[in-house]
Amino acid sequence: MASNSEARAGIYGDTFLAGLWRENPVLRLLLGMCPTLAVTAAVKPAFTMGCCVIFVLVCSNIIVSLMRNLLKPHLRILMFTLTISTFVTIADLFLKAYVPRMSEMLGPYVPLIIVNCIIICRAEACASKNGLAVSVIDAIGMGVGFTLTLCVLAGVRELLATGAIFEIQILALQKEGGWFVAWAAMGMPVGAFLTLGLMLGLVNIISKGRT
Amino acid sequence: MGKVKHFFEQSWLLIVASFCFGLLIAVTNAALSERIEQNRINKRNNLAKGLLPDANNFVPLDVAVEVMSIMGKKELAEIYEATSEDVRVGWIFNAAGSGFQGKIELVVAADADFKELAGFDCIASNETPGIGDLIKEDDFRKQFEGAPAEKLKLVSSGEPTKIDSEIVAISGATVSSGAVVEIIGHYLVQVKQQLQAKGLIEDGK
Repeated sequence: MASNSEARAGIYGDTFLAGLWRENPVLRLLLGMCPTLAVTAAVKPAFTMGCCVIFVLVCSNIIVSLMRNLLKPHLRILMFTLTISTFVTIADLFLKAYVPRMSEMLGPYVPLIIVNCIIICRAEACASKNGLAVSVIDAIGMGVGFTLTLCVLAGVRELLATGAIFEIQILALQKEGGWFVAWAAMGMPVGAFLTLGLMLGLVNIISKGRT
Repeated sequence: MGKVKHFFEQSWLLIVASFCFGLLIAVTNAALSERIEQNRINKRNNLAKGLLPDANNFVPLDVAVEVMSIMGKKELAEIYEATSEDVRVGWIFNAAGSGFQGKIELVVAADADFKELAGFDCIASNETPGIGDLIKEDDFRKQFEGAPAEKLKLVSSGEPTKIDSEIVAISGATVSSGAVVEIIGHYLVQVKQQLQAKGLIEDGK
């Protein structure tokens, strides 16, 4: 009995940790590239996007897991999209109502969560084949992995582009009498591609070192 | 009958889910729509207050004013009379059009007689950071403060501190600068004509 619950706890732990590193959606699976590149100019919008994706992932995985035995194979993608778009719309309305500034900063990228491959991938690969607990833990692991990656990427870009992190000035800018010359390019798409490329390279080096 | 039965056997879950999800969105929207609208009004009022510091109230115009959008579509203009102690101190109207990277939404202010602009501010824009988004900076925006309320012209070089109908483009962001000048000019002329036609401001002729 004890070994049964231990085995279950092991599965849950493994499922959660997979999203953080081994199957990290951005760094290992290369999914969700659109928001990864588009909303990581600063940490606040990146964090907000991550929270929205966690909310949508958890809710859609719950619904898909609960109705997995009722799904007709040819209608499953339609059902996944319907479920995801519902929760994305709700997340979008909540952002507009409670954090309008973030809603404006994220612009069309919140509605675009509907076509984020991470969510439909987890619905298909995990929630439609597993029970509620595993599906929820998988969603949280994947969502947290996605959010952390976005925040690290955004942190590097924001620091180099503005000398600040979370809008708190860390480096004294030269135009304000300090020493740091802000790299405007890091706030632009080129900065996103460059930083993501370096992060992917670093992750590959670490992974190769482990094997 | 058999076909109808087959249809429902296959799609009942989709129909039920569509109904439930639709209901969920409708309930959420009903609960939050008032707050969302209030946020929009607050933002516009804050921007407008920055443009017309003397104003303490922004009253929506009680007559419908129809204008043509830049895309050639008829729409109702959002125009507000800015007042202080019930005395008109200016006008505020919304204007929108395409920029370099998507839609630019502006709030534009003019003086009480609609003879001079009091300035503009951005409600929303996705212009390139560090280049196109310099349209939000004071260096560019100050050129509109006191400019004549008529069709404006974009010039590539000149003296930005000189206040006239010529607006000096931001170096490297001609498309974004041009978009702002075009959007403001396009709406300004129409709103002015409509207000004159309705007798709300004096006809300059």
